[in-house]
Amino acid sequence: MSHPARYRNGVRVSERHGAGEWTLEKILLAALMPLGLWIASTAFTLSGQGYDAVLQWFASPVNAALLAATALILFGFASLAWKVIIEDYIHVAGTKALLIGLVNLICLAAAAASVFFIVRLALGSAPLPAGFGI
Amino acid sequence: MSNAPPDRTVIQPNGRPRPLSPHLQTWRWHITMTASILFRFTIGAISVGALIGVAWLATVAFGPEAYATTLALAGSPFGLFIGFGLTAVLFSLLLNGGRHLINDTGRGLTLRSADLLSSIAVYAPVPLAVAFFALLVVSGRISL
Repeated sequence: MSHPARYRNGVRVSERHGAGEWTLEKILLAALMPLGLWIASTAFTLSGQGYDAVLQWFASPVNAALLAATALILFGFASLAWKVIIEDYIHVAGTKALLIGLVNLICLAAAAASVFFIVRLALGSAPLPAGFGI
Repeated sequence: MSNAPPDRTVIQPNGRPRPLSPHLQTWRWHITMTASILFRFTIGAISVGALIGVAWLATVAFGPEAYATTLALAGSPFGLFIGFGLTAVLFSLLLNGGRHLINDTGRGLTLRSADLLSSIAVYAPVPLAVAFFALLVVSGRISL
């Protein structure tokens, strides 16, 4: 190996990006603890409520910002967690890379779609597909 | 290792016989194993739940009619069943994720605390989801 082994607290530090990914996954999971509780309380508030009540909820910038943050953090965590699971069970290099790429693509698309919908609802845009000329 | 049967070997790709490493059916079952397996299951289930959440967002963004369809679907027996499952999964993510975060810092790893944290993560989500739905019904937000 080109790099000399590095140690922290007597434990060998990963040679490439493993330690960074692990730390990021833990930070995202820690952020999901309060956000998950907030999602539970939000689900309770909005359960069975009509369209107007839901729109009113989205009109609050705090709600919209927290929901967008939750979506980004949850899909970021999911992509890292799925990467670990795939790496544990799939040992064929091509299949592994393909599956990790697929998971990342799904997470990215879902995160982008979430932010798109939340921004529209927060700004009080007309219902889709308004604005897309359909 | 001394009590492992000597014939339990596996041939490595380089042709050398090596002792078969212990697998799930070799270890005596312990609650920490269940918690660990359930956390992986939870990550899979919460991913599906998050996609359902995005679909919910989409129907709100597509207007009152699309949202009315979602509301009817969510109130149907199948919708309530999925909703209950996702609630249990959310509590599982919080409790099992919390257990994992505590253990990641090197704390809670004595037998007693590892057992306690794992037991909470394994057994608490479903009763919490039952309580959540009971509150929803009592407060009149949903009707069964």
